[in-house]
This record gives sequence, C-alpha cells and structure tokens, in this order.
Amino acid sequence: MPESDVGEPLKELAKEIQEMKVGRVVVILDPEKVEEAFRKLQERYGYLNVYLSTIVGTDLKSEGKIRMDYYVNVFSESTYVVLRTFIERDDPKIKTMLNISKAAFSGECETYDLLGVKFEGNPYLKRSFFVPKDVAEKGVFPLRKDSGV
Amino acid sequence: MDTAPENVTKAMEIPMLLEVPVGPQHPALHEPVLLKVYASGERVVRVEVNTGYNHRGIEKLAEKNTFYKDIFLVGRVCGICNTVHANCYVRALEALLDKEPPERAKYLRVLAMELERLHSHMLIEAVMAEILGYDTLFMHIMRDRELIMKAKEILTGARVLADYMMVGGVRRDLNNEKIRRLNEILDKVEPRLNYYMKLFEEDVTIRKRLEGVGVIPPRDIINYGLLGPIARASGLKMDARLQDGYDAYRDVPFRIIVRDDKDSLGRMLLRWEEALNSLEMCRYILKNLPEGEAVPDEKRLSRVFPKGEVFTTVEAPRGELTYYVMSAGGTQPYRVKIRTPSFNNIINSGFVYIDHELADVPVILVSFDPCISCMERVTVIDYRKGTRRKVPIKEVVRGNA
Repeated sequence: MPESDVGEPLKELAKEIQEMKVGRVVVILDPEKVEEAFRKLQERYGYLNVYLSTIVGTDLKSEGKIRMDYYVNVFSESTYVVLRTFIERDDPKIKTMLNISKAAFSGECETYDLLGVKFEGNPYLKRSFFVPKDVAEKGVFPLRKDSGV
Repeated sequence: MDTAPENVTKAMEIPMLLEVPVGPQHPALHEPVLLKVYASGERVVRVEVNTGYNHRGIEKLAEKNTFYKDIFLVGRVCGICNTVHANCYVRALEALLDKEPPERAKYLRVLAMELERLHSHMLIEAVMAEILGYDTLFMHIMRDRELIMKAKEILTGARVLADYMMVGGVRRDLNNEKIRRLNEILDKVEPRLNYYMKLFEEDVTIRKRLEGVGVIPPRDIINYGLLGPIARASGLKMDARLQDGYDAYRDVPFRIIVRDDKDSLGRMLLRWEEALNSLEMCRYILKNLPEGEAVPDEKRLSRVFPKGEVFTTVEAPRGELTYYVMSAGGTQPYRVKIRTPSFNNIINSGFVYIDHELADVPVILVSFDPCISCMERVTVIDYRKGTRRKVPIKEVVRGNA
C-alpha cells in the first residue's frame, strides 16, 4: 500500500491500489469507472486543485491488452494519482474523458494516432495527428510492439 | 472555393506554418505547428491547431536504444530546454536503480536548469518584443541572453545541447575560476533584467498590446490542462519544483511567482520575475555549493536495469514536463512516454483566441511561449469576390490585410 492516502476517495471504486516510483499512487480500475474516479478526485480535493496531466498508453502484447494510464495531478496534495485500466488489444476502445476534462484532447488524439485506441465520444480523432501520412495510410500504429516500425 | 459560413462575407485563413530554421534537433523554439485561424472581419471565430510536421518518433526510438543512449536522445527533444529533459529522464533511471546522486551534483543540476530557464524566458521575451515591432529591443535582449548562453557553456561545455546530466551525477564539475566567471556574468545580467522588466511594466505601447489580451480564467486553465507560467499568471500555484522537490530544490530557496493578471502582459511579466528569481538561485548555488564529488565513474554504472516503472516530472521553462519510463528488465526500456508542456499549452489552447482581433493572435501565441518564429504565410479568403491571396503575417498585425 502506498504511504500517501490521496487515493482514499477511490477505495470503493478501485480493484487495487498500488504505488509507483516516485511516490505516485496507482489506482487500478475497470475502464468504465475512470471518469467517475476523476470526478471523485475533483469533488474531494476541489476543482481548481486537480487536473489531468498526462495520458499514457502502453502496448502489453504478451497479455493481449493495452494499458491506459491517466496521470491526475492533485497539486494541492503534491502528488499524482494514476488511474490505470486495461482494455482489449484487438479492439481497444474506451470512453473519452473530454466530457469531464478538455485537457484530454491532446493526449487522446495522440494515443489514437500512435496506438490505435479509440476514444468513444471524441469527435476529433484522426490519423496523421502526429504520424506521417505514408505510415498512417498503411494503417500502422507505430507504438504497437508488432508495428514493424 | 470554400463555402461561406452563415452571415460571413469575408474570412481569413491563417496557416501559420512554422518551419525549423536551425535544424531538426532544435524543433521546440521553431516548432512546425499549423494554426488555422478563421476570422469574421477582424474577429477570430475558430482556430484549428494542426500538428505532425516534425514528429520524429522519439518514444519509439527510445524503445529501440539502450537506457544510456536514450539520455542523449531525450536531450534532443528540445534544444532550448535540453537539460530539463535529460534531468527528468536521468532521475527516472536513478529511481529504477535506487541510486542517489551526490549533493554537489544535485546543486549543479539545479544551476544548469535555472540558467536554462533564464535564457529560455529571455528568448521568448525577445520574440514578443519583435512581434510587437520593437526589433531593437529584441536584439538587446538577445545580446544579453548571449551572456547566459556563455554561462551555460562555462558550466556544461556547450551553449545549447549540454548533455550535462548523467546517472548518478553530472558530466563536469566547477572550479573556483569558473565560479568567479559565472558570478561576473550574473552581475552583468541582473541590472539588464530589472531594466527590461520595468520596460514591460511601463511602456505604453507594450501595455496596450498585451493588457487584457488572451485572458484565461483559472477554471479554464485547469479544464484545458494549461501549465507553467500560463497557469501561474492566472493565479494558480502549481510548480513541479515545489511539488516534487527533486534534486536540490528542497535546499535552494526560491519563490513560486504567482500573478493574478490572467492576460498576456501578466504572463510576460511573470517570466521576467521568474528570470530574476532564477538568477538569485544561481548566485545562491555558486555561494553554497557543497564540497565533494559530482562526476560519477561511468564504468561502474549498471548496464542492466531491474524491472519497474517510474513517473518523474520537472518544471521546464514552459511548465510541467513529465516522463514515464517502464523497464521490463534488461538494457532497453519497454516504454518511454514524454509529455512536454507545449503539448498541452499549444494544442489545447485554441479556445483562447476566440473573439479576439486577428492582430492579437500572434501576441497570444507568443505569450504561451510556443517556440515559434516563421509564421509568415497568411491566406486571405474573400467570399464575395471568390479570391484567395497570401499576405505576410506582419501585415495582418499592422492591420493592412
């Protein structure tokens, strides 16, 4: 269990709470509960003290999953809460966070372009957001471990 | 010809295609990003941010190289703030190895990063002066900035790409002669910073062009995830140096500068204040540098990294920069994720331009410190005449388009 109790409001939602270096609290959730977890952090620590900092998608090829991490900076508590969830690698879909935080825009567009995760409800997803056109036209998602890039 | 939106007779499409004049290893200042601005009359009605002109696939490259080679790779993500990138990544590696650098190295790292903040802030202030039509002021600030570049060279051995950070320390140490020269430079630069700050505070034209332009309420800052000086100029006390207290930031006294102006002027004045504060920090470090070793023996470092994951942050000149490094065990990282502050600040900030005059667009963009220079091409679309013509952005700023 992590030293910080910043993840405490998410205890009921979480499948498990772990710790990541350096001092981050990792809350493992079902994909449909990520938005609710973010909302709970906002309610507990105040709207102006919590923001979505980074979205990290990781291809876990051997497990057949894509891991989605939402790094939420709770800066009034000087720590980060990582909302972590796993989605199917074959058909990676997850609900967009745009309804609750516009900060998700850049991260979701990037993750779609590089990893192929579809954020349902985000109308701005497009290929070639970052990836060069010739790579995008081949349907390659470069950060997939078997992309051949 | 495009179809005219309802009730619009004339629109301007401004593709601010920013090129890379210095070379591919310096994309941050001259970032190739396309800002499509749609205007009804002089009023901006829509802004699209297009990216992808210079994506180099660094995250993928990092997976293919060793942990140590990646230190040099991440230093090349950005020319202006290469030491903060390297620092953030190196601290992630140190966390994986459970290694702590010596106190002297921590102080020297902070010195390098604060010198970087100083010259980065001076650079964007100079660019702002140029955009406002003060070309001489631009040159004066750049001349004084060169002194800081020299200081960085004395410390790290290079003006721009320092490659100063190493796992377990820094690459070069300081001696008394170098400390004397650095102090001399700081003494020269301080009165200049005070002068420029006063100029930005008091000059009528600068105030007219910046005051009340690009106002962002704190709620929008949080909602859109805007970072660094932009957030602090809107009254939010967020700073990774305070939050994570990495390296020597818990020991070296510094102020988190917060202003309530919320506008472009506030952002520029905040940067001058921060530059002055960085200068004070540099002086403190040079005076209170701990004794001991700072340069580790590279041959003794472990080539193989244990399994694990780390998330580190650093307060870059433009805001919170984050690195996620995952090791599956071995010599190469499984995943490296870099989120630069401009990634949020520029891509998410299209909403700020709405309802401003076209001439305010470059001012707002520069106040975000987006690493820009060559936004020279503007297309004016006249829906009534059915024509498109290209004019330089400077003409738009002067109201001649």
